[in-house]
Amino acid sequence: MSALPEQPDRLLLHARDVQFDWSQLPMHWVPGEPFSTHLLNVLHLLLPEGERWFVRTFQEALPLIGDDRLREDVLGFCGQEAVHAEAHDGVLRHLPSKGLDPTPFTDQVGWIFSRILGEKRQLTGRARHEYLVERLAMIAAIEHVTALLGHWVLNSPGLDRARTDPTMLDLLRWHGAEEVEHRCVAYDVMRHFDGRYFRRVRAMLIAGPVLTIMWIKGVRFLMANDPELPPGSKPRWRDFRSAAKRGLCPSGGSLLRSLARYFRPGYYPDQEGSTAQAVAYLAQSPAARAAH
Amino acid sequence: MPDRFLRGLAVFTDVYTRSLPLLGRSRKQAGPLERALRLEVVDRRVEAEDVVSIQMSTSDGSALPQWFPGSHLDLHLASGRRRQYSLCGDPADRDSYRIAVRRITDGGGGSVEVHEELTPGRHVVVRGPRNAFPFVPHGSALFLAGGIGITPILPMVRAADRLGMDWRFVYTGRSRATMPFLDELPAGRVLVRPDEEFGVPTAADLLADAPRDGAVYVCGPTPMLATVRAGFGDCAASALHFERFAPPPVVDGKPFEVQLGRGGVVLQVPADRSALEVIREQLPGVAYSCRQGFCGTCRVRVLDGVVEHRDRRLTDRQRAEGEALVCVSRADGGRLVLDL
Repeated sequence: MSALPEQPDRLLLHARDVQFDWSQLPMHWVPGEPFSTHLLNVLHLLLPEGERWFVRTFQEALPLIGDDRLREDVLGFCGQEAVHAEAHDGVLRHLPSKGLDPTPFTDQVGWIFSRILGEKRQLTGRARHEYLVERLAMIAAIEHVTALLGHWVLNSPGLDRARTDPTMLDLLRWHGAEEVEHRCVAYDVMRHFDGRYFRRVRAMLIAGPVLTIMWIKGVRFLMANDPELPPGSKPRWRDFRSAAKRGLCPSGGSLLRSLARYFRPGYYPDQEGSTAQAVAYLAQSPAARAAH
Repeated sequence: MPDRFLRGLAVFTDVYTRSLPLLGRSRKQAGPLERALRLEVVDRRVEAEDVVSIQMSTSDGSALPQWFPGSHLDLHLASGRRRQYSLCGDPADRDSYRIAVRRITDGGGGSVEVHEELTPGRHVVVRGPRNAFPFVPHGSALFLAGGIGITPILPMVRAADRLGMDWRFVYTGRSRATMPFLDELPAGRVLVRPDEEFGVPTAADLLADAPRDGAVYVCGPTPMLATVRAGFGDCAASALHFERFAPPPVVDGKPFEVQLGRGGVVLQVPADRSALEVIREQLPGVAYSCRQGFCGTCRVRVLDGVVEHRDRRLTDRQRAEGEALVCVSRADGGRLVLDL
């Protein structure tokens, strides 16, 4: 008798209608850890616009996808991403009540996804198609990052030890689990249009550094505008190292190693993370369990 | 408003985008992720009152795609009906798939067609397997099945047993005669609990043996699922796994028309179908996802007509700007002109 596969696979993806109540959320939801809080808060700044852009781009690609199974995956993916965007938006809407207005930064993020990476009507024919495929390759690269962050947050006892706000921790882990659950979709879509190694690594070489820079700018913005911190507060590299040491964020080394794996010729997203672990979390997540 | 970094990035992207065609032509690499399979029915057995199991194989003896407990097949029946049925055989058997189907005389006709048409020697086209009820193969678990809900649970219980997991199983049904596969359950902590002998179970009855911090897997009729979900908070387990089914049927709908763009095709939406279903037949590439009005993927702009909004997603402002989710929202008769 052959052995069972280790992991459930061929998952049929579906969105979960989660709701979160932020009315009790303190500014520093990792208590006493403004740096770690804001490092993770950057997710709320980047993701709503970013994930909506994923959905718009996939909607553009959808009529060109002939593979029924892939189309089904894309539809499930879009629903999950749309709900993620909405969930993070909820945190953004709460921030002003704590005295932090995120719009100067989120306007810039919005500008990236509309002006820089949005629809370019002047492009036609092949240039238009290649632009679509390039954006799909960018999404595949970013989804590698979200999957590795998802895997990290599902394995982050440091956040529990630090008594992180349970509702926020559930949002991060529910989102992380769905990222792990659907980690192959964007990669499969890219390969459906272009399977060349050059395309894949080129997209990561652009998306990786831009994402890193935006993340740093996001932490700087949040710390500078946090009314509960002394004016002129800035993130420092040693804050990052100290947070990583205590398990409040992934370490720089582990991030670099995970990113490097994307450059291996034989890379496939299911080599990262564990579907079984994601499924197990989704069955216990208070928000996902309450969802329809 | 954009800072120097972003302005620079915009200039770079514009040049880069224009030069993309010079960087080589996209080359599709991956084949289809899945192919439809044409299978032959090799065995059909009566497993209980109104329940038959159907065993299917490829005609050429080639190995079937692997599956994991909780997976289902999508059957494309000769009538054009498509039905999903859980795989209830042995995942290690790569030569055949087994499903089991209860005959529902006043249903949509799919189960009756399976019972009457899928006899040995007949062929059927299937897609899949896909897994909407994944099983985590470690830890401790309580399995709950009600009636034909045994089908996804049976392979899970057997896998749990083979893997040496700490498991227990409560199997309910109307009466023993209606409960399939009683002779296939592994020996162990199995409680067969027909209503006829024990009465309809309460949440406490079902969840009494839930393992502390373990998982509960449940598959059964809607009331049973509702009972378990409502009572789950009071039990010792921490994870609840259940299959999420297709969207609920349209309630109190009236027939109306949708037009795809001004001057476009006019489609009739019957009272019991969603606009999305009708639009998809015309435009297979249209985007949607949850089909329950919460994710917003199917959002479209309404150019003309009065929308009866039924979603839980759009803000008043978005509605005022003419947006609508066609997976649930309708019109109270009349016509909606959509920007599609």
